[in-house]
Amino acid sequence: MKLFRHDLHSLSGAYALDALEQGAESERFARHLNRCPSCASEVREFREVATALAFAATTEPPPELRDRVLAAAALTRQLPPEVTSHPRSHRARGRARARVPWVPWLSGVVVVVVVVIAVLFGYAQAHTEQELNQVRAQNQAIALVLSAPQAKLLTHATTKGGMATVVLAADRHQMVVTTEGLPALPAGKVYQLWLISPSKTISAGLLPTATSGQTGPVLASGVVEGDTLGLTVEPAPGTTQPTTTSILTLPLPV
Amino acid sequence: MNPSDSDASRFRSVPTDRRGERDLDDLLIHVARGDQTAFETLYDRLAGPVYGVIRRVLKNPSQSEEVAQEVLLEVWRTAARFDPALGGAATWVMTIAHRRAIDRVRSVTAATEREHKIAEVDTPHDEVAEAVEASLDAERVQRCLGGLTEIQREAITLAYYGGHSYRQVAELLSVTLGAVKTRIRDGLIRLRDCLAVS
Repeated sequence: MKLFRHDLHSLSGAYALDALEQGAESERFARHLNRCPSCASEVREFREVATALAFAATTEPPPELRDRVLAAAALTRQLPPEVTSHPRSHRARGRARARVPWVPWLSGVVVVVVVVIAVLFGYAQAHTEQELNQVRAQNQAIALVLSAPQAKLLTHATTKGGMATVVLAADRHQMVVTTEGLPALPAGKVYQLWLISPSKTISAGLLPTATSGQTGPVLASGVVEGDTLGLTVEPAPGTTQPTTTSILTLPLPV
Repeated sequence: MNPSDSDASRFRSVPTDRRGERDLDDLLIHVARGDQTAFETLYDRLAGPVYGVIRRVLKNPSQSEEVAQEVLLEVWRTAARFDPALGGAATWVMTIAHRRAIDRVRSVTAATEREHKIAEVDTPHDEVAEAVEASLDAERVQRCLGGLTEIQREAITLAYYGGHSYRQVAELLSVTLGAVKTRIRDGLIRLRDCLAVS
């Protein structure tokens, strides 16, 4: 259905509230904004109204969030300012990006500080020179995943509580998995990660023992299109195929 | 254009608005230069509304915490991309927060989880009444929301706090798509004038 221009105008409110369907509709309106300064100005005002709605919903976050965010920020490299005089940097964004200057570009990629913190735990747990070297080598491999330009951050709660954080570097077919707040396991049981595809299920490694509720990073390779990440409780030292129901089902957008 | 616009010091010489946006702009500019103390202050000012709006959309506390953490770290990471000439810092941050919450809601997995809850949550009036802190902002917003027609208020509340697309809002309110678009836009214009944010 082709929308007439005046219909497009009337979408400004829905657009400002993120209430357009993602994809074609939202992108078409974003393109329209480039050509319609009055619409752009209206959207900007509406976003300020939305900000007031957000402030009216103010809720005290759990206090531990502050420590986590601040600690994570201290370990996260910041993006440099955009050099706007360089036209290529804009073109690289792709034409579908809303050229609405005050709407931040939402990349979907966040540097995963949770993982960086977990890496530091790895150092803390290494007691011998050999262990330290192993940690270093693994951290180099992990750093490559974290710094991959197309890396995606995925987080998902498990059905038993706690959450898994995944940094997926699709172009490397690798991912790094950390978890937080999973239930403690009885002796003789381990958490095991799985790459589940329609044709087969392969182990993606065991989660290390948690420190302060967090597990250090597990690097898994060989992630391919159509894989889903699963997590099960298995008898130590792990099994070749899952024997219990997965407590996590996280499709991997490779 | 005022020649002093290019002078960063203007943020200290211009009076703050009701939400202290100028201060926040200034803070965010310092955050962009890696100032962790500025980021702590920014956190203390904005974590409440960030978490609050995400929580309102997602309902689930642990998911909300995850998304709030992602958003706040994204603010740290991308602070240099903030341009105060194009809008306030609070708006920049809340736009990220709401967008991320919506992304999560509309992701396939979250959608199925939400199905179970959808019946119990869509009560816009209660949600507004729930507005947590009796801050001036909340009072003003509630008063202004109270000045809308019922359908304008419900359409805006379902879209923004409920995280519904306008098509879903049309379905929930049993009105046409055209009516929803118009009600949302007219309601926002009325809110804008009432809040005097323009």
